[in-house]
Amino acid sequence: MRRLWFVCWVLLAAMPARGAETYSFDATEFQKKPYELNGYVEFRYDRFRLNNSGAQYQLNNYLAPRVNLERTTALFKPSGKMRSGDFTLNARAHVEFQHDTVDSARTGRFDELYASYKPQPGFTLDAGKTALKWGKGYAWNPVGFVERLKDPNDPELAREGFTALSADFIRNFDGLLQTVAFTPVLLPARSHLNGDFGQPGHNNVAAKLYLLYRDTDIDFMFLSKGSRTRRVGVDFSRNVTSNLEVHGEWARVEDVQRRVTDAAGNVTASVANAHSYLLGVRYLTEREATLIAEYYRNGGGYGDSELRGFYQLADSAYRQFLATGVTAPLQRTQNLSQSGYGRPNAGRNYFYLRASQKEPFDILYFTPSVTLIANLNDRSVSVAPEMLYTGITNVELRLRTFFLSGSNYTEFGEKQNRRRLELMVRLYF
Amino acid sequence: MKSMLTRLLACAVLLFIGGWTHAADGNEILKRVDRNLEPESYEMFRKLINIEPDGTKKEFVLYSVKKGRDKIVALFLAPPSDKGRATLRLGDNMWLYIPNVGKPVRITSLQSVIGGVFNNADILRIDYTAEYNAEGVTEEKDAHVLALKARTGEVAYDRLKMWVDRKLILPVKIEAYAASGMLIKTLHFKDIQDFGGGIRRPATVETDSPLYKGYKSVMLYSQLKKRELPDEVFTLNYLPRVEDLRK
Repeated sequence: MRRLWFVCWVLLAAMPARGAETYSFDATEFQKKPYELNGYVEFRYDRFRLNNSGAQYQLNNYLAPRVNLERTTALFKPSGKMRSGDFTLNARAHVEFQHDTVDSARTGRFDELYASYKPQPGFTLDAGKTALKWGKGYAWNPVGFVERLKDPNDPELAREGFTALSADFIRNFDGLLQTVAFTPVLLPARSHLNGDFGQPGHNNVAAKLYLLYRDTDIDFMFLSKGSRTRRVGVDFSRNVTSNLEVHGEWARVEDVQRRVTDAAGNVTASVANAHSYLLGVRYLTEREATLIAEYYRNGGGYGDSELRGFYQLADSAYRQFLATGVTAPLQRTQNLSQSGYGRPNAGRNYFYLRASQKEPFDILYFTPSVTLIANLNDRSVSVAPEMLYTGITNVELRLRTFFLSGSNYTEFGEKQNRRRLELMVRLYF
Repeated sequence: MKSMLTRLLACAVLLFIGGWTHAADGNEILKRVDRNLEPESYEMFRKLINIEPDGTKKEFVLYSVKKGRDKIVALFLAPPSDKGRATLRLGDNMWLYIPNVGKPVRITSLQSVIGGVFNNADILRIDYTAEYNAEGVTEEKDAHVLALKARTGEVAYDRLKMWVDRKLILPVKIEAYAASGMLIKTLHFKDIQDFGGGIRRPATVETDSPLYKGYKSVMLYSQLKKRELPDEVFTLNYLPRVEDLRK
């Protein structure tokens, strides 16, 4: 018995006391490897409450009306690297399975697949499919000349790139001008290569010049006339105080073609230069709430009366279909939708606000937030409260709802859905 | 009356000189603390552990390189959900690169890219002398106690109270205060180790905060060594490629 007590005493003495825990760390296992594979798997459930009186609903669902739509999505996003000397092969794939009340779909593609040559930190050459991201705006990027459109509801989502040859030259200096970086891009467009960039048969040239001047980020960009019309732009970003950042973008797009319809279906085509700009702030409060606010002027967008004309046309085409069964007016309206009216945020003046609170009530890794997108011309809005939890290692949980509101013939009043519930689980590996 | 005035003036001058000497001594100690903690230009690996009151832990591993007094970049190597994130600091300017987002965005020193007690300023710490001025030194049995004041309003903590080991000239404890005088967090430096190359410093920094009662964060250091890098590494355009620096 005495021996047992002694063993217990030795074991207890050997146990580290709570609060005096010791830690150790050896970084050997984190040395760079020639191969790397990581990424995530995402499962999402969406439930849409459809807007039966909305133009977008009527155009897309007139043959099979319904009240709700449920969608489940499984997404696999692996990314990998292979290194050899100064060369790296980078790949990021997108494999998606989607099933909803109406249909099922499968998508498989490389979002990025490119080789990099990096002989020194001041020079990089990339060749292949790569996603270039230009601009300082959070929700919109009018200067994003060589990238796919950003979804303001998911601005941080990875997007598919274009196949291009690009380089990056960086030089640093002492003084007020601290950094100069130049990024030229050659983006060929053929029917089988970058077919959705614009008109095929052009070798498009774009470039970005970055300066860090007086603690301010400044970029100048341009895209030559080719598959798309010529465009130039500038952006900036600066920390005004330790908790306030301001940013802005301005872009001039030449020869923008616009097709505008009135309520009777009379279409007017015009070509003009469009100037778009964005002004925004990011502010961190003392209670660690982050506010992002942006005003966006979409120079090529539709004004209040122009949008109203389109929605009235869709409404009358739908009524005609209900009365006679004739689908031709609806199909004509659908064509107009695809030529511009159906773009996300097709209006002219927008306001974006995102407020997120870091870890309220001492709940670590929990971030509730709310996002508002308003069309300032017709005063319709989308409000999306969200809860994000990242407390489980390599797991991200998000619950989000969207509430769209606006009167008849307004942008968010005429969207396909009135409400949306989204549940997302993301597992990283 | 005249002699009284002369005496008062002499006292004032002596007090001023005394105070100035103290501040100068303090800054000299602070400069030695900076160099004893790390070489001016270095690379290192760190593990950050956030510990919740119930003992639940979340760990992050970072690779960092620093150049001069105020250029530092950090890359997340683990966990996989944060892998590839990189943060850059040039003086008061800070940026965060998230691979999914695909471009760096400006962040502030008080935000936290990892959550928990550590904020960006803790992860991207530059030389203390670059951010703080010693306003005074008091002496305790085994330590100099430095009263440090932020040089600008951009610095994350307005004041620091730093206990410096008298023999080793290394920090033992730091209390960080807001401009309002509120204690934000306390850092405890432990476990002095020899990293080679003449670097001998604490390998563990434990942090607690009255704002996060019961929570604790630990920072562990490994493979800290001197390394010289070109300035181009510390730029926005290079941020997505920081991992190329690892050997």
